[in-house]
Amino acid sequence: MEFDDKVPIYYQIKTVIYDQIIAGQLAPGDKLPAVRQLAVSLTVNVNTVQRALREMIDEGVIISRRGRGNFVTEDTEIVEQLKQELINRYLKQLYDQLHRLKISDSEIIDELTAYIERQGDSNDNNAEN
Amino acid sequence: MTTTLKIDQLNYRKNLKKILADVSLSLTGNKIVGLLGENGAGKTTLMRLIAGVAKNASGTIAINDETNVAARKSLISYSNPLGGIATNKRISEVKQFYVAVYPDFDEQKYDQMISFLKLDESQRLSALSKGTREKLVISLTLARQASVYLLDEPFGGIDSMSRKKIINSIIQWKPADSLMIISDHYVSEIAPILDEIVVIKDNTVVVHKAADAIREESGQSIEDYYESLYGEADSND
Repeated sequence: MEFDDKVPIYYQIKTVIYDQIIAGQLAPGDKLPAVRQLAVSLTVNVNTVQRALREMIDEGVIISRRGRGNFVTEDTEIVEQLKQELINRYLKQLYDQLHRLKISDSEIIDELTAYIERQGDSNDNNAEN
Repeated sequence: MTTTLKIDQLNYRKNLKKILADVSLSLTGNKIVGLLGENGAGKTTLMRLIAGVAKNASGTIAINDETNVAARKSLISYSNPLGGIATNKRISEVKQFYVAVYPDFDEQKYDQMISFLKLDESQRLSALSKGTREKLVISLTLARQASVYLLDEPFGGIDSMSRKKIINSIIQWKPADSLMIISDHYVSEIAPILDEIVVIKDNTVVVHKAADAIREESGQSIEDYYESLYGEADSND
């Protein structure tokens, strides 16, 4: 995959894995590929993968089982929290950018609503859980 | 075991010309380090000195506290551009040469690499494209079980597909407890696999930093950061 070289690589690896967890490609309890395998598939350094893993373990999203590997947490509350953080981060980006262009809050809401409507039924997104 | 390369006050002249001046550098651990600098900055000279191929420098170079050249050589695998091998030799003959010369040459690992890189062992050196030649050099270099791997500009003038394959081989086959130094004057292609960068400029080491620390502190890509070292006049102060 292509990384943005302006952003620390370990951080981008975390983002990739967190995205997969939130999107359900990695389910609670799933085992992650081995470190070197992850490094090869992402084309990054083994040490950088290890650093990303350490942080994800510290944040409680990944559970390391000695001798067995690394697993996605089965604590759905943690995954839900992760999802919320990500939503907030993307919304903040969008909001900040539009705000910089002097677009008012109500305009943003209207535009966003209209945009989502235009996206229409083609997307089958589950808005509630 | 953790590998340590320690260079202390290295000075090197050739034909009265100063090539390296007061180079001190300490690299520790199982890292991949990018050695960057313009053409002619002294990258190859520094590698040759570390490898013990170039001699008569003042100062010390120690690998795992070993300063003796012969002992050091046995710990290092240095990418040799195959200069000493007759061009009518086949790839299979080059392998036999390596097996005979280097007791640490791992044939099984070598075979895995050349099959991954799709090298045809019956080909003669003279018939190899630049990219294929570089794939062979990488396979030979990584097949040795060493503490330090020195790759001198492994991506010079080769196409992007070959480059990706070579980068993949490095990630797959670099032994976990070894230190690897890769020199290049064009950084963007290898930036994602580097732990640290060392920049040589004006005959000496001017920067030694962790790659992610550069991204984190400056918000710059490694390439932009590297280029900023050369164009200070344009930067804001």
